[in-house]
Amino acid sequence: MAQWPHERSLVKNLKDKPFALIGVHLNNSGDDASVVRKVMAKEQLNWRSFVDKGAIADKWKPAGTPSFYILDAKGVIRHKWAGAPSAKAIDMALENVIHDAEQEAKLLSK
Amino acid sequence: MMLPDTALGLRAATPARSPSRWFGSRAARRVGKGVFTLLLCTFAALAQDARPDKPATPAEKYQALLKEREDGPEASSNAKTAEERKQIQARLGKLHLKFLELAEQNPTDPVALDALLQTVAIVNGTAFPEGGKDSPDERALSLLLRDHDRSDRLGIVCQYVLFGFHKSHEDFLRAVLEKNSHAEVQGLACLSLAQYLNNRLQRLELLPDQPEQVERYHRVFGKEYVERLQRQDRAAVAREAEALFERAAEKYGDVKIPVTYYGSGGTIREKAEGELFQIRHLAVGKVAPEIEGEDQDGKRFKLSDYRGKVVLLDFWYRL
Repeated sequence: MAQWPHERSLVKNLKDKPFALIGVHLNNSGDDASVVRKVMAKEQLNWRSFVDKGAIADKWKPAGTPSFYILDAKGVIRHKWAGAPSAKAIDMALENVIHDAEQEAKLLSK
Repeated sequence: MMLPDTALGLRAATPARSPSRWFGSRAARRVGKGVFTLLLCTFAALAQDARPDKPATPAEKYQALLKEREDGPEASSNAKTAEERKQIQARLGKLHLKFLELAEQNPTDPVALDALLQTVAIVNGTAFPEGGKDSPDERALSLLLRDHDRSDRLGIVCQYVLFGFHKSHEDFLRAVLEKNSHAEVQGLACLSLAQYLNNRLQRLELLPDQPEQVERYHRVFGKEYVERLQRQDRAAVAREAEALFERAAEKYGDVKIPVTYYGSGGTIREKAEGELFQIRHLAVGKVAPEIEGEDQDGKRFKLSDYRGKVVLLDFWYRL
């Protein structure tokens, strides 16, 4: 998938930041965890992914794949995209939200 | 010259051997105009006489156009030459106009309504439908409101225009909701208006991330209109969409949604409740709903395990 190289670099570059990439693998053809694990190992997708059996998609109804959400440290949705946004759009959005999270953490620790 | 209409009739009836193709060519027209015109008239007259019955009725013309629409894609892919394919494509590209003209020429005939439905369906098969004053789409919608605003068949039209974006689509949906007394049509107008407002808002919100699309929006929908929409009170529009979804689910929940390119059926209740869930729980600014499940190693985990971190949530598929 076109977004994977960018995602791999995000996980690598942001490993010291309060950041996590979480996948939700959609159950388009009834794949179980072992199929998803094989694909992720082969493609070196080094993050965690839910393996949806349909219940997650029923609720979230993603309008397309990939669909992305950015949640801040409190779990609030700050950005969402249906269909792949540009790498730059994701980078800029993440930078802002991570910056906010770090500022807040700093205030709390004082 | 009155030929075009006759030629059209012939074309619909006998697509393969239509003489109009020869006469239509520019090169042919340049050759000895007088003789040609005479020949042409004779030919056309002969061709018409050769038909056993009277000129095609509106219903027959409608059926011929419908057949062309249904067979068109296959005919196009079976075309033997690029030139033939181009001609078929060009005719398919005009079908929406042919349906519209049929309706305009026979406004009191029962097929007028069928023909208008075809026009609106064809024009709105894209997220950037051609619109504006005097466009086929606007002409079809205004005829529908003028002659058929009480018809029990307008529900599907409401679904056709829900990605339309044009002001004319909003006006159409509001008028149907107000004037049509059939519960099913009212329900679909209510749902479609909510979907339309919601889609338009979402597209406007995405626009700043798609600078390459702005020119297209201005060209297709009008610069002034798009800019006015960008200045509107978006929260108020979002509240109206939410209220319409609520009303659709409560009042018209059991109505079935016709299958179109945009929807695979189901009931208004299912669709409206899904949209309400999006608005109430999956919009920017809302706390993301919990997700609980297994990861690729079979270990259970929850989305909320990651509170304290910024999460990029990626819905993906392995292909």
